[in-house]
Amino acid sequence: MRKTRLAAFFAVLLLALASVVAIGCGGSDETTGGSGGGTTSEGGSGEPLSVGSDIPYPPFEQGKSGSYTGFDVELMEAIGEKIGRSPEFQDTSFETIFRDVGQGKFEAVISAATITPEREKEVAFSDPYYLSEQAILVKEGSEIGGIEDLEGKTVGAQQGTTGLELGKEKANAGELRPYPEGPDAINALKAGTVEAVIIDQPVAQNAIEEEGGVEIAESVPTEESYGIAVAKDNTELLKEINKGLEEVIEDGTYKTIYKKWFHKEPPKQFLG
Amino acid sequence: MSQFFNQYFNFNVMGEHFGEVLVAFLQNLLVFAVAAFLALLWGLGLALLRQLPSRKLAPIRFITIAYIDIFRAVPILIIILMISGGVPFLTFLPQEVRIPHWFGRPDPFWYGVAALVIVYGAFTAEVYRAGIEAVPKGQMEAARSLGMSHFQAMRHVIVPQAITKIPAPMLNELISLLKDTTLVSVIALSESVLVSREILAERLNSSALTLTAIFFLVIILPLARLVDYLIKRNQLKITRGSHIEVA
Repeated sequence: MRKTRLAAFFAVLLLALASVVAIGCGGSDETTGGSGGGTTSEGGSGEPLSVGSDIPYPPFEQGKSGSYTGFDVELMEAIGEKIGRSPEFQDTSFETIFRDVGQGKFEAVISAATITPEREKEVAFSDPYYLSEQAILVKEGSEIGGIEDLEGKTVGAQQGTTGLELGKEKANAGELRPYPEGPDAINALKAGTVEAVIIDQPVAQNAIEEEGGVEIAESVPTEESYGIAVAKDNTELLKEINKGLEEVIEDGTYKTIYKKWFHKEPPKQFLG
Repeated sequence: MSQFFNQYFNFNVMGEHFGEVLVAFLQNLLVFAVAAFLALLWGLGLALLRQLPSRKLAPIRFITIAYIDIFRAVPILIIILMISGGVPFLTFLPQEVRIPHWFGRPDPFWYGVAALVIVYGAFTAEVYRAGIEAVPKGQMEAARSLGMSHFQAMRHVIVPQAITKIPAPMLNELISLLKDTTLVSVIALSESVLVSREILAERLNSSALTLTAIFFLVIILPLARLVDYLIKRNQLKITRGSHIEVA
């Protein structure tokens, strides 16, 4: 009697587990099915466009799930409107973002991602949509005046970013700490556990405006630009995104979004 | 499928970054060694406080129980983030405590050790307590009737017997502590997972993570076998040599 009861208990448990797995698979099937359909169909199919982004990275991407906002998010939405594919954002981690888009976890990536030759081996990038500068962010009143003063200092940056690369190549820091997210590095700066942070200029600017107590010691031009990434073989989507971006720049939507988030005029090449 | 193997089992990537990951893994072992030593002491302290006799000391018992309950419940990740994000702002503490660089180790090292000791102190306290409570009550009564104080009885009679009962569960806690040292990566301590993820960002390949997993396996598998052996030996002791099959 006891044995059968035990067997029944395990059967129920197994059934519950199986149904959970089935529901989980069903759910993910739906999303991959949707995006798969989008990849093959012609432009303006009206399918949502799945977009990966490492959130938060203000002012490029911020906000809560379902209501993300920021420069990248609004630009992607504007482009999506032009090509008839409304973007659906997925928060993901930056270090795996190119691999994931390559493998089709989402169709596109807009995540303040600098176009680099290494990354171009894995994914295809759209035309540049933003020219990047790195900022050396320090505490207010710090004696660090620029990148050459970082020698021997403890410096923070975000894992897998150009800021970290710049630190490795040019800063000659005593210790270079890669934080999982940009805001973690800025918090460490405020706490005083790092003496400087190398991070994208607008992110630094945002930290100054939002909370204060920190300042930019030096802006380092990087001759780099951000692009939207798609899987290498997805030339169809890339074409559409480039066309959408061009239209958004031409009709002045780009300028409006740029001014909203960076409080200044965009560079000449982005004026319609 | 071949993509999967290339992503996680690319031996070229493992080979090229072997030294780097190994050095980072030693950082894990170092965090573990320091944290384990301190947590074992702290846990024993907590267990003894929890066993304090008499009504007068009830508040101390209560606080200890609250501490143990709280830190067994809150995820270590949160404790790590809170310590590294909060302690630097406690201005009443001296600078070298707020941002410690003791023994040439960076501050994330010490924040990580502190968090692990705080949490694992609570877990090991429960293991000690199980050991102490497994000593027959008569032992304490006998010791007290011989004129020993509570503390003397604990020191000379109860704890020495309790210690012999706990190696297996304690080793399990230590194994879990060793694995949790990887969590300190969130505050940018260059330990093995963080370094592997850096390699992942640089090479767009996850094989360094697999290599890290292998390092952990190499250390932990023998320990797991040891736990089994200790449990078996203890069983035999309890049954005084009579035959009992332990799988």
